[in-house]
Amino acid sequence: MASKKIKMTSKTLSGKDLKAIQGSIGASQMTQGGQQAVIDPVNRIEGHLRIDMQVENGKVADAWVSGTLFRGMELVLENKEPTDAAYIAQRICGVCPVSHAHAACFAGERAYGIQIPNGARIIRNLVEGAQFLHSNILWFYNLNALDYVNPLDALKANPGDAVDLAKAAGTEVSDFKAVQSRLQNFADNGQLSIFSGNWFDSKDNDYALPPELNLIATAHYLEALEMQAVSSEISGIIGGKMPHIMSSVPGGTTFMPTEDKLADIKYRINRLHDWVQNTMVPDAYAIAPYYLKTAGTYGKGAGRYVAWGVFDTAGREMAGRYLPGGVLEDDLKTLSDPDETKITETTARAFYSDDGTPVNPRQGITQPDGSQAGMTSESEFGHREGKYTWTKAPRYGGKPYEATALSRMLVAYTRAATSNYDPTVSTNSAYQKGLASIKTNIDKMLAHLSKSAGKTLGVSALQSVLGRWAARAVETLYITERMQDWVDELIEAIREGDSSTFVKPNRYDGEGAGMWEAPRGALYHYEKVVGNKIQKYQIIIPSTWNVSPRDQSGVRGPLEQALIGVPVADLKKPLHALRTVHSFDPCVACAIHIAEPRSGQTFDTITTPFGGR
Amino acid sequence: MPSFDSLMESHGVSRRGFMKFCAGVAATLGLSQAMVPKIADAAEQLVIGTTSGVLAPALWLEFASCTGCTESFASATTPDVATVILELISLNYSETLSAGAGWSLEEAMDQTINATKTVRNADGSTSTEPVGYILIIEGALMEGWNDNALVIGGEKSTDLIKKAAKNAVAIICAGDCAVDGGWQAASPNPAGATGVEPYLKKAKAAGQLDYDIPPIINVPCCPANPEHIIAMLVDYLLLNKLPQLNEYNMPSEIFGQTIHDNCPRRGHFENGEFVYEFGSEEESKGYCLYAMGCKGPQTYSNCPLVRWNRKVSWCIEAGAPCIGCAQANPNMADHGWVDLNSPFLNRFKHIGIGNFMFDPTYLAYGVGGLVALALIVHGFGMRAAGRTTGGADFETFRHYDLKHPDHPITDKPLAAEEASHLSADMQDEAIDEELKIAQPQLYDPKAAKKKGAAK
Repeated sequence: MASKKIKMTSKTLSGKDLKAIQGSIGASQMTQGGQQAVIDPVNRIEGHLRIDMQVENGKVADAWVSGTLFRGMELVLENKEPTDAAYIAQRICGVCPVSHAHAACFAGERAYGIQIPNGARIIRNLVEGAQFLHSNILWFYNLNALDYVNPLDALKANPGDAVDLAKAAGTEVSDFKAVQSRLQNFADNGQLSIFSGNWFDSKDNDYALPPELNLIATAHYLEALEMQAVSSEISGIIGGKMPHIMSSVPGGTTFMPTEDKLADIKYRINRLHDWVQNTMVPDAYAIAPYYLKTAGTYGKGAGRYVAWGVFDTAGREMAGRYLPGGVLEDDLKTLSDPDETKITETTARAFYSDDGTPVNPRQGITQPDGSQAGMTSESEFGHREGKYTWTKAPRYGGKPYEATALSRMLVAYTRAATSNYDPTVSTNSAYQKGLASIKTNIDKMLAHLSKSAGKTLGVSALQSVLGRWAARAVETLYITERMQDWVDELIEAIREGDSSTFVKPNRYDGEGAGMWEAPRGALYHYEKVVGNKIQKYQIIIPSTWNVSPRDQSGVRGPLEQALIGVPVADLKKPLHALRTVHSFDPCVACAIHIAEPRSGQTFDTITTPFGGR
Repeated sequence: MPSFDSLMESHGVSRRGFMKFCAGVAATLGLSQAMVPKIADAAEQLVIGTTSGVLAPALWLEFASCTGCTESFASATTPDVATVILELISLNYSETLSAGAGWSLEEAMDQTINATKTVRNADGSTSTEPVGYILIIEGALMEGWNDNALVIGGEKSTDLIKKAAKNAVAIICAGDCAVDGGWQAASPNPAGATGVEPYLKKAKAAGQLDYDIPPIINVPCCPANPEHIIAMLVDYLLLNKLPQLNEYNMPSEIFGQTIHDNCPRRGHFENGEFVYEFGSEEESKGYCLYAMGCKGPQTYSNCPLVRWNRKVSWCIEAGAPCIGCAQANPNMADHGWVDLNSPFLNRFKHIGIGNFMFDPTYLAYGVGGLVALALIVHGFGMRAAGRTTGGADFETFRHYDLKHPDHPITDKPLAAEEASHLSADMQDEAIDEELKIAQPQLYDPKAAKKKGAAK
């Protein structure tokens, strides 16, 4: 049997010098009553994450999420100039540098008292959009899909049936036979340990796709590797290089791309749009029904959502962005505009030396104190009563909020209801058209899921692990549509003589916050500038919201909440818990690396085939 | 056993793509194209060799980093020839890159580090020695709070590197953070970030290492350029040699010439045609970014040749000045590129051409006159110096702005005190110049035009 052969492959390797290219799930007995499952480090997220879970009666009873690296970006940026900050701050994260650059630019522009020209706005939207596509495609296929798709099983598929299935599902028909023989080639080649230590045999037992669908998804997984690289090429064409672009500075952009470059960009956007429309979205439709009863039921989390909004329209209001800002609570019933003054952060359970009083980031300070940081290594989880992470705990109106793509989609969906869009009128704004498109696509997805569920699912059904990835598929399509518009908008602007991309500062003293979105969620940068030197800098990244620790009152962060109640049948391979973590797409590299003490137990690998990532 | 071509094919790589890759590697390494078939041969031999069991293991460890070097290395080009080859022959142990990787656990790392092979000696006896592996490091080591600022899998980053370096055949430090701590080590260096080479040297001096430090190859830039990393791996793995290194242990072929040397905008520099504002008409004409603080003249890297993201562009093509991210300095703490080069939009006083740093006011009358004249015309008040390891000084007074109040380079108005300093300084300079030699006559197109019109 194929899978057996592949396992032997990994043993061949082990026999030499790399016995186990081992991954990372361990389990140990819990000291008090329940059992303890530890995921460490969580693979297939950018960076590491340490999750401690207490399991009782087959479910997660409690969870702790912690981080073990402090880097100190906020402190490094002090005494630098706002332009320096735009270049340095993006080096906080190699996956979402563009978002950090833009949040830093916004903060600088507020401090300078300026607004960027129209051309710069569109160019920034394009480079930001390219980064979103890269991140969403990478996440959807290469980081998240293997929790649902079993490529080993694809070897059993009949390629002819796969063609029929792909046609029926409306997704792209690839050369499935070729993909299968490539898979077989991998399996036959004794060098490749690509499937070692997979979770396909988890006793949580929830790889539910038929072999043909596994084959289809595997074929598209390979295509996704190319497509996410094409997205990065767009970032490179505009930004000079990616990661860490050069083109966005406080005041606008460094240049107006030449016609030649615009043509290169347009071609790539069209290619991406077609692929997302014909492959990624149909794949989501095809796979989702198989997991409605599992991933569709757990992992809700805080149930409150923040989005600061991303992709400026000509009007430049946060609530009027192409992906609008907004705050949702009360089971999605109450929507309000983001209010910066309601944001607070506390260090009550994090390694900082201030007294832990929640304060607005404008008053916030960063005083790291790592004297207890060593505790996260092999300590007996004693840190649970005290400080246990480098992540501060952000709150909005005193409560924890989720900041993800789902937040953006839910906010946009709710706003669509009040946007006065009339399909019969041609004068609808781009904003109105955009919201209508999101609403249509979400309704379509919900109708599709309702059919499988046998009952009507409302938008609140998206508040689950499955909902998070469905939301990302909808968002990705939406961004490719808007990027097509933006290229044309930019060409039109140039044609009309509006090719300015940069304005000088009005002043060199001031303060300002940049509220924006990274692919992973709401992003906040604040700076206070005196004599063109930064006196104070504060950053709240999306993962800080999501992997937040408990606050001063002991209220858990969104991921900690989402994990509670998740079923765990296999302590060593808690598949459902892993899916829950992945659904937040924690970009902890943004804030911290997170890791875990060796538990001395057997470890297995979570793998990504094909040198994927 | 699958043939080389079918193996490549199974990764979606054609023969043609493979040959193109070999040519690219040769170019990055500064090798002649006559070497291309040799690289191809070596690759083929190695890949086929691996299927009969000859592995060249590599470990890719990630410390305090942004994952940007990983993204840069793999994500932008996966699954291309390089990734395929490197996976097949070596990169079997990495957190995110390698097929079936998931390195994270110390057991697996220990096995790689401690793997031994039996060697038959000349006298017929046998002995065991380490198999060895290439160690690739991304990210900085953290010394803050007793090294607890970074703990991975229950171990401090500093303990991990001491362990991992032991049997390495070579250590490739990918990106500035691994070289000297990167931005994390910038003032005030909040978490005690440091590079691999400085840390290991310190540890060795303190008697904490019971082995000699393996050869270290520093590959700066933020992030590391994937072409550079691939070139290093291929150099070692395929051509079986370590590259020639400069005094910073950086490969001379890649970091031996300045960005300025190979810059496509160099002609405008020599013509004295500069960009003074982002997004300006001068920028759209592709003028030189020196006046915007470009660090190209001081920064040693072949960026203009290898470019980025499958060679679609690079920093200067995007109208942005080089911010000198290749200027990591493993030999001197606290002299990383961020501290050295910020504020990024300020110009250095000194300029380097080729391997020389010089003062254009003197050279104006000798070789390379055009360059210097252009600079003098633009009032760049330069002073002579060599490339200083301690970093060059910034031009503190804005001579140009004072001379050209109608179109100053910087936006800030001159403070009264600064202006008076400035004019005193300029008077001194004027006297200096008068004493030395008369200012040469410069071609002034406007005057010429007027002259023509008068005729």
